[in-house]
Amino acid sequence: MTATVPLRRLSAVWIQVTGTWCNLQCTHCLNASGPVDPWLKPMDAAEVEGHVDEAARLGAREVYFTGGEPFLHPQILDLLAHALARLPATVLTNGTLITEGVADRLAGLAAATRYSLEVRVSLDDPDREANDRVRGRGAFDRALAAIARLHRRGLPAILTATDLGTPGGGLYDRLRGLLLEAGVARPRVKLLPLFPVGRTANGGPPLAPEDLEGADLGRLQCADSRTVTADGIYACPILAGLPGARLDALRLSDAHAPVPLAHAACRVCVETGASCRNG
Amino acid sequence: MAMEYRRVAVFGGVYSNAHALAATLDDARARDVDAVFCLGDAGGFGPHPDRAVALLRDRRVTMVQGNYDAAVAGGARDCGCGYTDARDNHFARLSYAYTLGHTSTEHRRWLGALPPSLRIRLGSSRALLCHGSPRAVSEFLWESTTPDGMLRAMLDEAGADVLLCTHSGIKWHRALPDGRRAVNVGVIGRPENDGRTHVWYTVLTAAGDDLDVEFVPVAYDHEALAREMAAEGLPVEFAETVRTGWWTTCLEVLPAKERARGRF
Repeated sequence: MTATVPLRRLSAVWIQVTGTWCNLQCTHCLNASGPVDPWLKPMDAAEVEGHVDEAARLGAREVYFTGGEPFLHPQILDLLAHALARLPATVLTNGTLITEGVADRLAGLAAATRYSLEVRVSLDDPDREANDRVRGRGAFDRALAAIARLHRRGLPAILTATDLGTPGGGLYDRLRGLLLEAGVARPRVKLLPLFPVGRTANGGPPLAPEDLEGADLGRLQCADSRTVTADGIYACPILAGLPGARLDALRLSDAHAPVPLAHAACRVCVETGASCRNG
Repeated sequence: MAMEYRRVAVFGGVYSNAHALAATLDDARARDVDAVFCLGDAGGFGPHPDRAVALLRDRRVTMVQGNYDAAVAGGARDCGCGYTDARDNHFARLSYAYTLGHTSTEHRRWLGALPPSLRIRLGSSRALLCHGSPRAVSEFLWESTTPDGMLRAMLDEAGADVLLCTHSGIKWHRALPDGRRAVNVGVIGRPENDGRTHVWYTVLTAAGDDLDVEFVPVAYDHEALAREMAAEGLPVEFAETVRTGWWTTCLEVLPAKERARGRF
């Protein structure tokens, strides 16, 4: 019998705004995003706005824009502005498309709202070669440049790394050092575990009831968040688009049924206590 | 039946800063308040935690339990702030171990018996007093991450017109279009990351159906506090915050807007 997690309240709403459409093709990508023929399609702007409005009305705390690469969406800046008029918003990006002009627009959006705009820039290793082996040539320099650009405009981005178990450890301190060296006076680093989905799916077993003894299921993301995509609503961003994971609801207000911890990736959340959220 | 008040002083986060606590209590008395409330976290960060607890008790401050109070009372593994950042955790552990080791059994018992929330009336307004949020003792309510829709939902659930909270360390106040409001009363234990050394508390005065909210700065002998922190072997980073007004640790939890206003 699979354990289920009830929705305590809707706090975080994730928006798979570009589906799995990305200009990079990282070897560890948890939803196998890439530049060619995304298996999960980008979302229509009006549909995104509808979900954001509903999230705000339902009393959610924040929205996250993810993908794929959100800055490939032609209306991403307008969508962020729409969200920030209602609630705090975070955008998860590889940073490669944050030009000087885009950084100016983001700084303008941040200044125009009472709510926080968070920009999370992915970079997985403080060593350029090691990073680019995973994320693609040039990804390191462009991500770091994006963080520095935002920093110069008073926007403290969060460097987000997937902890791939680099030899020597100390990933957090090394990334923090990298930012300080690059002149980023307010270094922010978030580490995430590797999830066995997408390009690193390992077909591991789902959780058994005995794995859950003593686990605080109320702390799991699926206890207070939902993810909207072009093909429906899911419990969390990790499971978005996976077969059998779609919830039987078209609107966030109807997506409150308990969700089964049925996927191999659920084990990572339960065992590490990790959260995709900023905090 | 909730007690009714005309004017109250409310603060949070004493963080073992007995100097600022004494100065705050003197200031509040001069303002003719009916009662003084502390929204939790007597200890942490500063030196000699027993001094602040003794003062809170002697001066009959009505207190709500904070996450630090619950942790110290129960001898928990950590302070319950839930940091994930390695550097923040390093400092949080030092601070917690010191506070736990220097709080008397009697004071721990007192902290353990504090209520998680209180309800009072301020004139005709129903006020809920809590530490983090009405939902969770360790939930941070920052100005930039508390949307109106969430605030409305919280006030509805709590059956309150006014929400008073602390925990985050930076004060703010918002009135909703329907007249209900939230006030983060700030903390008196450390400055609020603005490059100034004073701390803040809040005076609320009922005015007919309305409520006047005033944030009050409190100067205190911060050099004496910094010297005591050094003498107790607390991290130099903590004393630096006291002397400069800039936060040097526990920065991870700050959202972008609040983080951008600080130096680090």
